[in-house]
Amino acid sequence: MRRRQLYAGISALLASGVIFVFPFVFILITAAKTRQDAAALTFSLPHEWQLWQNFIEVVQTRNYMLLLAYFNSTLITVVAVTLLVLFGAMVGYLLQRRPSHWNTVIYGAVLAGLMIPPAVVPTIWVLQSLGLFKTISGMILIQVAYGLSFTVLLFRSFIATIPRDLDEAAIIDGAKPLQIFFRVVLPLLKPVTVTVIVTQSIAIFNDFTNPLYYLPGRDNVTVQLTLYNFQGQFQTQFNLLFMNILLVTIPPLIVFVFFNRQIVAGMTAGAVKG
Amino acid sequence: MTRKSPYPYWFVLPAAVVFTVLFLAPTIASLWFSLTRWDLFSTQFIGLENYRQFFREPFLIQGLINTVIYAILTSGTKTVLGLLLAVLLTSGIWAQGLLRTVIFFPVLVSTIGVGITFSVLMHPTRGIINVALSAVGIHGPGWLTDPSLALYSIVFVDLWKGIGLATVIYIAGLASISPDYYEAARIDGATGRQMFFRVTVPLAKPATVTVVTLSLIGGLRSFDLIWAMTRGGPGFSSDVLASVIYKQYQAGFYGLSTAGNVILFLLIGLIVLPMTAWFNRKEVDL
Amino acid sequence: MTSVVLEDVRKSFGSLDVIKGVDLTIDAGEFCVFVGPSGCGKSTLLRIISGLEQSTSGRLLIGDRDVTHAEPSQRGIAMVFQSYALYPHLTVAENIGFGLSLARRPKAEIAEKVKQTADILQLSHLLDRKPKALSGGQRQRVAIGRAIIRNPQVFLFDEPLSNLDASLRSQMRLELTELHAKLGATMIYVTHDQVEAMTMADKIVVLNGGKIEQVGSPMTLYNKPATPFVAGFIGSPKMNLFDGELAAKEGCRTYGIRPEHILLSETEGKWRGSVRHIERLGADTIVFLEVPQLPAIIVRTDGDRPISPGQTLFATPLQGKEQRFG
Repeated sequence: MRRRQLYAGISALLASGVIFVFPFVFILITAAKTRQDAAALTFSLPHEWQLWQNFIEVVQTRNYMLLLAYFNSTLITVVAVTLLVLFGAMVGYLLQRRPSHWNTVIYGAVLAGLMIPPAVVPTIWVLQSLGLFKTISGMILIQVAYGLSFTVLLFRSFIATIPRDLDEAAIIDGAKPLQIFFRVVLPLLKPVTVTVIVTQSIAIFNDFTNPLYYLPGRDNVTVQLTLYNFQGQFQTQFNLLFMNILLVTIPPLIVFVFFNRQIVAGMTAGAVKG
Repeated sequence: MTRKSPYPYWFVLPAAVVFTVLFLAPTIASLWFSLTRWDLFSTQFIGLENYRQFFREPFLIQGLINTVIYAILTSGTKTVLGLLLAVLLTSGIWAQGLLRTVIFFPVLVSTIGVGITFSVLMHPTRGIINVALSAVGIHGPGWLTDPSLALYSIVFVDLWKGIGLATVIYIAGLASISPDYYEAARIDGATGRQMFFRVTVPLAKPATVTVVTLSLIGGLRSFDLIWAMTRGGPGFSSDVLASVIYKQYQAGFYGLSTAGNVILFLLIGLIVLPMTAWFNRKEVDL
Repeated sequence: MTSVVLEDVRKSFGSLDVIKGVDLTIDAGEFCVFVGPSGCGKSTLLRIISGLEQSTSGRLLIGDRDVTHAEPSQRGIAMVFQSYALYPHLTVAENIGFGLSLARRPKAEIAEKVKQTADILQLSHLLDRKPKALSGGQRQRVAIGRAIIRNPQVFLFDEPLSNLDASLRSQMRLELTELHAKLGATMIYVTHDQVEAMTMADKIVVLNGGKIEQVGSPMTLYNKPATPFVAGFIGSPKMNLFDGELAAKEGCRTYGIRPEHILLSETEGKWRGSVRHIERLGADTIVFLEVPQLPAIIVRTDGDRPISPGQTLFATPLQGKEQRFG
């Protein structure tokens, strides 16, 4: 490695340390401080480490609301992502295997989904008439609707790499359409399925706007809503506020550690094709 | 007699139902509702009055202007800075893998969490940023409390969070540029700067289009950060269309709120569609 | 043992006529080869028989059943694809047993039948492997195994040897012929390689532009080609074919004589020419003889015959081996 590259690397690391790493360190150490310590808002190590106590206190706040929030967020994420994989793969499959005039319609819808911002108040009106407003099921279906465009695109382009021969061999073996899809094609979609699961899970887990509109009230809170709501609660308790932030940051961190490659792959899809 | 295809049309049905009912239908309905005075009790047709209000009331106009400023600033910076960072992080400097990870991680973190954290850091008197500045004798401004500064402080945080995604997209795009082009340019005697502008920039076009489009649409629709950091304040100096839509909804002015949605939709269409067409016309012959 | 009958089968894709009326009978237990240049419709015809494509008109009978509109899995056929089309995510055993598992047969039954099939093809030691861990020849045998286990009345092969290298190809030709002898099933085999056709077929069907040019045994097609196309297609090097003046002199529209049916002499013969080019193959020598007023004549002669470029030679066609068309 040339000298210049080493120096450039070191200075870049220092700069990025200050800019990008420092806020996270601040979160961590503030989350470990006592209430008085935290109030000073300084970048210093805690006088006593209260990481565990703060954790317990945040979890217990408002009757263990955070636990309920985690449960809800997880439920919404898991079910929505499962439906997205299923529905998205089916559409991508049809688009790729059966070119027809309908394809332009479907692509148009996909494009609309990517560009058009959801009309929130009319959506609430629709949810209300379906009895789904303020319900977890309603929230799940919303996440599916909003995530379909991106998912369909990802699946469609990947299915192009599965040779049609396999479908035909299965037909001769006596497979019916659903069997071809579930037993031959879907198993071979594993890489893109993982990418979809990872990227959509993070997006849905971190979503604040949609639960804000479609899940108001305290019965069906999500993790992001809880964090937002607790701002008032923890106005003078920065240690607890930042513990909450820390807790909300950990799940995506874990996913990132294990699935870095898939996340990047999912988010750069389309960057090279153009 | 034609046999049934092994790829039945009904495969699109589940997705189509959910998408139509919960996305397409409300979008189409919004066109109607934006022309009404709509509240908890009634719906009353009032024509374009909601739209006129948007261009009459100062707090609504401000939201419109802020939205465009916000989008252009974030998108423009992400496009330029993202490419430069990508070039840096593919040039073989020491620890470049670690650096990529470090700048990408904020992309995955909760926006509310980021917003709260930076609000605290940007506190005019007790926030670390101003405390550090005063240690060197600079009196730091009210980043989020000064009306003329609030929006731009949020832009900074948006960039902090989002630059990693732009960079990563560019890195993927750069990886697809064959080294042959650079070698040919080197043989032709091109300087580093010339290679950047004559080889890298044109051939990174697909990535550029992606970054610009994604960041523009994201910037125009931005809500979470603004809501977490200032709620559109002080006053309405940092309001954007998305926060206006929410505030009008909270106040019960559903028609006005929906009109805001339609305006946002038109804004995105008017900016993104011509831009995409322009990009696609400028073909790079390879 | 089942026969296959095609009655005036036609196939069009939009306005493009690909199969223009094919009548054909394949006898029970026959090894029938469809051969022809690219685009002649041989693969399409095979796919129509398999049911993967529907004919635009015409009838198809397998055994005594009219299967024109039947589903592929209901026709009593099995197919081996050019790419083998093995399911990458399944083991060899699961690949072979896939059809039975779709039909929800009991596990014990599937395992037993898979074992029997694997034994016939010497795949028993590979049952737990995935396709990507197999060689080309092994994959081919798995594809054949998947076909055999269906106990079909008719086997369909779509250019199964094209993806193999030359030495493997000749070995697999032998194995397929032996398989045919062992099973005694009707087999329809598509290829563009006339060597495969000649060596494996009981009956060859030569297709050109969507129509049958000729049907017959390999030696019939070799000795008595019905058209210049068939004459030029079967046999390597290609038969010498002449139109125009020479043909008129011989009393036909096209005159043909195979390179191996021409005698060379330094002293006398029917045509006199000079050697333009020599290809020595070891066992044979191919001579390109330039004859005035004719395109070059290609002659095959002994490997060790001394010939030099530019040499004057006389060529004489063997009596009774000349072909006259039209």
